[in-house]
Amino acid sequence: MLQQLFNALALGGVYALVALGLTLVYGVMRVPNFAHGGLYMLGAYLTYAALTGLKVGYVPALILSALGVALLAALMERVIFHPLRNAPHVHPMIAAIGVLFFLEALISHPKVFGPDFKQITEPLPGIVNLGGVTLTWQRLLIIAASVLVMLGLNYFLKRTLTGATIEAMSQNREGARLVGINTNRVGMLTFAISGALAAVAASLIAPINAVTPSMGEVMNLKVFAIIILGGMGSVPGAIVGAFLLAFTEVFGGFYISLDFADVIGFAMLVVVLALRPQGLFRKGT
Amino acid sequence: MLEIRDLTVRYGAFTALHALNLSVQRGEIVVLLGANGAGKSTLFRTLSGLQRPAGGSATWNGTSLTTGRPELNVASGVAQCPEGRLLFPELSVEKNLRLGAFVHRRDPAGTARELERAYDLFPALIEKRHAPAGSLSGGQQQMVAIARALMARPQLLLLDEPSLGLAPLVVEQVFSAVQRVNETGVTVLLAEQNAFAALSIAHRGYVLEGGRLTLEGTQQDLMTDDRVRSAYLGV
Ligand SMILES: Nc1ncnc2c1ncn2[C@@H]1O[C@H](COP(=O)(O)OP(=O)(O)O)[C@@H](O)[C@H]1O
Ligand SMILES: [Mg+2]
Repeated sequence: MLQQLFNALALGGVYALVALGLTLVYGVMRVPNFAHGGLYMLGAYLTYAALTGLKVGYVPALILSALGVALLAALMERVIFHPLRNAPHVHPMIAAIGVLFFLEALISHPKVFGPDFKQITEPLPGIVNLGGVTLTWQRLLIIAASVLVMLGLNYFLKRTLTGATIEAMSQNREGARLVGINTNRVGMLTFAISGALAAVAASLIAPINAVTPSMGEVMNLKVFAIIILGGMGSVPGAIVGAFLLAFTEVFGGFYISLDFADVIGFAMLVVVLALRPQGLFRKGT
Repeated sequence: MLEIRDLTVRYGAFTALHALNLSVQRGEIVVLLGANGAGKSTLFRTLSGLQRPAGGSATWNGTSLTTGRPELNVASGVAQCPEGRLLFPELSVEKNLRLGAFVHRRDPAGTARELERAYDLFPALIEKRHAPAGSLSGGQQQMVAIARALMARPQLLLLDEPSLGLAPLVVEQVFSAVQRVNETGVTVLLAEQNAFAALSIAHRGYVLEGGRLTLEGTQQDLMTDDRVRSAYLGV
């Protein structure tokens, strides 16, 4: 029981990091970034590459991966979302799906990583005993790291002027331009942050799950469900939605059937949206 | 001074401003009268760099305002309090004001000083400083919008229909604040449909109709002009 609680917390932390990036980008660009799962997948592979190719430690590998994906996400904003900013919304959406499939095909290519799954070994193997509950060091690391990253993000958004420009732009884009905020720069910065968050999340969970080219698609489905659930563009909504989905999956899988874990998660989504179509945290605008 | 020469702005095939010529001298309050759809907001959006003109020029003290980069316009001393206010509704009043000083982010001491001045100008905002801007009354939101524009320390303040939807008493407060701002040396260009209140604080004015200037004159000229009296003063 308590065991499941920790599993749910770890899973929720990972979902939250990925969903936060997606919701921030949606808030600023008003366009869902369907390539987000691709960035997540790439984050896991970059960490794997740094561990095996550069032979650096786990933490430096995670940081390198976050930086690499951040850079790539900012580039993606420049070459895809920025040029299409005045086009109908389907255009950037389709372009983003294209990026997702491109990244997947690129990674699966035999000369790159190939279609087979890769394994990242746990940086801290073994288990801990917390008052009778045993859990792996990796799960504890995931929980601690995701909480730390979320606190850092919250500090950045609420307490720094640069963070405030992201919130300002998502609340009123024209207003932001009128006070002299360079919205191009904020757009790139937001993409970079979302990429880094996705890479950190992927690198945290990679030692538990296998690294595969299709891991991004699965995560995409889940984080879109989460931010629709929480309210598109809402930061607290993304966090609450992430833990709600993780708890439903873990406890649903535990009490009902593991095979149904995903089904139960989406059933919850349908129920919540039937009751609150705008999502949990979205104000009726 | 603000110098607008042959300024033409189009939305697709529709011409919203036809080769406009207009100037505002340093220290003036100039009112731009015009009915709904006359092109007032189009002019203001162009002067803030949000809208690119199809032709002509607009300069403030010689600096071009039509480069399409709003942040440069703010940095060269032109700030706008836009129609509809465009506040950041979920951020606190104070954060809205601090963001107004974004172009002065390397001068926190100056921003702190301006913040004090903003609260001096609109004391009603002091007790609301931590409230989300969107939770305030219409009049208080208008004060936040004006104060946010002032935080950029403008030399030229563009005010687009600040009296829209406000009770007469609040309009009076807002306009007297504008007058006090002008007395500190800030040049003001004010767009209004509510001509009487606006004309009472203005030095000069223009009348804009269908994207063309049809009349210009001093406060006295316009107050006594029959066309203005019937169209905008409701006399
Ligand atoms: N984004 C736009 N696209 C097309 N036409 C517009 C746009 N904005 C304004 N217009 C048109 O330009 C004209 C002037 O509008 P506007 O500048 O808002 O006038 P005002 O502020 O004086 O009410 C109106 O006819 C309006 O319909
Ligand atoms: Mg208007």
